[in-house]
Amino acid sequence: MTASAKGSQLSFSRRWNSLEAREARLAWMLILPTAVIVFGLILFPAIFSVWISFRDVGLKNLNDVFQAPFVGLGNYRAVVNDFAFKWQGRQSWGAAVNSIVYSFSSTILTMVVGLIASLLLNRPFRARGLARAIFLFPYVAPIVSIAFVWRWILDPRPSGVLNDILMKLSLIELPKAYLATRGLALVLVIIFTAWRYFPFAMLMILARLQAIDKTMYEAADVDGANTWHKFLYITIPELRYVLGSIFLLRLIWTFNKFDDIYLLTGGGFGTNVLPVLTYQFSFGSFNFGKGAANAMILLIILVAFLLIYVSTVMRSVED
Amino acid sequence: MTANNPTHPSRDERLSLIDHLAQWINWPRFIFAVTLAFFLTSILFPFYWMVSSSFKTYAEIGGREPVYIPGALRPEAYLELFDFWNFGANIVNSLKIAIPTAIIAVILSTLGAYAVARLNFKGKSVMLNGILIVYLFPGILLIIPLFAMVSRIGASIGFEVQDNLSVLILTYLAQTLPVALYMLANYFRTIPAEIEQAGLIDGCSRLSVIWRITLPLAIPALISVGIYTFMIAWNEFLYALVFLNSRDLFTMPIKINTIFNDPSPRPHVVMAASTIMTLPVVTLFLALERFLEEGLTAGGVKG
Repeated sequence: MTASAKGSQLSFSRRWNSLEAREARLAWMLILPTAVIVFGLILFPAIFSVWISFRDVGLKNLNDVFQAPFVGLGNYRAVVNDFAFKWQGRQSWGAAVNSIVYSFSSTILTMVVGLIASLLLNRPFRARGLARAIFLFPYVAPIVSIAFVWRWILDPRPSGVLNDILMKLSLIELPKAYLATRGLALVLVIIFTAWRYFPFAMLMILARLQAIDKTMYEAADVDGANTWHKFLYITIPELRYVLGSIFLLRLIWTFNKFDDIYLLTGGGFGTNVLPVLTYQFSFGSFNFGKGAANAMILLIILVAFLLIYVSTVMRSVED
Repeated sequence: MTANNPTHPSRDERLSLIDHLAQWINWPRFIFAVTLAFFLTSILFPFYWMVSSSFKTYAEIGGREPVYIPGALRPEAYLELFDFWNFGANIVNSLKIAIPTAIIAVILSTLGAYAVARLNFKGKSVMLNGILIVYLFPGILLIIPLFAMVSRIGASIGFEVQDNLSVLILTYLAQTLPVALYMLANYFRTIPAEIEQAGLIDGCSRLSVIWRITLPLAIPALISVGIYTFMIAWNEFLYALVFLNSRDLFTMPIKINTIFNDPSPRPHVVMAASTIMTLPVVTLFLALERFLEEGLTAGGVKG
């Protein structure tokens, strides 16, 4: 053995045994189980999903999925031409347009409601802690119970509680089928989403509100600013970053969300969105290739939006 | 005035109360009170309606007009739920999934979060970004390949894919571990590194430092991660809907969906089941609100 080889071996073993190297190995061992589960059950399936979207996969060849025949863009063509997907005039928007309208309007409404709620809870009053906890209920309660309570409140029969209240107040004459009326159903689903998810926006805004430097308001008082001006010229600019991140997160999650609409309307009456349509293609008609293609289209729209958002909004915020 | 008219001693008090109110009230306060009342009603009414409907009889629930306050606390709906629908088994199934998910998630995310917070290694930022990308992927996109993968694996090693609770536990772990890791790593960073270094200098190994020093200090964070993952697994609907076929193995959300879609509508039974499912979550949350709030914002329930 030559001296140089011996030297490199020595330095290798020194490196192998050095504190840093041992720490790095320990770190990998500690994080490995989490990494394996997350990559194996999320990143790999996501890539596999791209593959499936180009294949003809149904129930018959599900056990033999790797031999599924290649169909090129066939699944994508089938999705884009599907009546449930495409825009067919103002009477029938299709799931793609619905998804965009639903996610944008409910995200904005969620933020507005969350902002109002956080301004309420930012004022000191008795039992504020309790009020704050109650405000979080819609967000922590199971979606299944919440959705079915709302369906029961919106029951189309005269015995439905909303129908009863509105008829007693003479606001409506006949009972309404709220979740089975085109247009109204979409509006209600948007309101439901804001009702359920505003606490997330509220908590994030509240944390930021409490960090705003109080001397700015005092300075504004000295200058004779009123409440509205203080809100407009101090509070809102201070909240800009947090509002931007809430918008992004809630938009992504709402766009991907399946449970809420599936449980409220099943995607009927002009409320079908891409996640529910994906479910219908895959587990309703068992056309997994078409379902995967639909999910890929969903992801493409989402990524396109993110790129636009990051390149325009983020840049303008930085300036 | 009080002295002249001793028969109406309360009149003056009333006046002063109104005066007092008139002094206290102003536009901002009025708007504040009305908005707060609006929020509280619209949040609490659905919960009241759920609990009260669960105590109504079939006659009360099916009548021509809604009954706002049930006649008595009659457990009719609950009896039907357990006797006819065998809901007890579904509660057990939900627990069988949610408890292991919570325990495994706490153990694995503690290990991973410690590595992220305290140790330096190559590829750390790549790994962290990779784990956070999870946020971008819709559950519905992952379920098709997961379903195909699991049935492919199942066919070759001969186990049932559908109706396998451990498959569900694994998918819930994949969904919750990123957020759990993130929450715990943030918490570990708040523990001063000097305490651990003192332990290392005294001759403890890294692992015994974690076990003896870091973990006892992180108990509040461990509890909140445990409850957060428990809640996710307890509430989850889509994956359970796809992966469970046999009624005996249904978790609560899927069973409630089944009862709701029964041809003969039984809203009071659905509300009773919803009450049973909601109560533990809301109680746990109220009791531990302070610990849990951070988790809600850190990762969101990804709702």
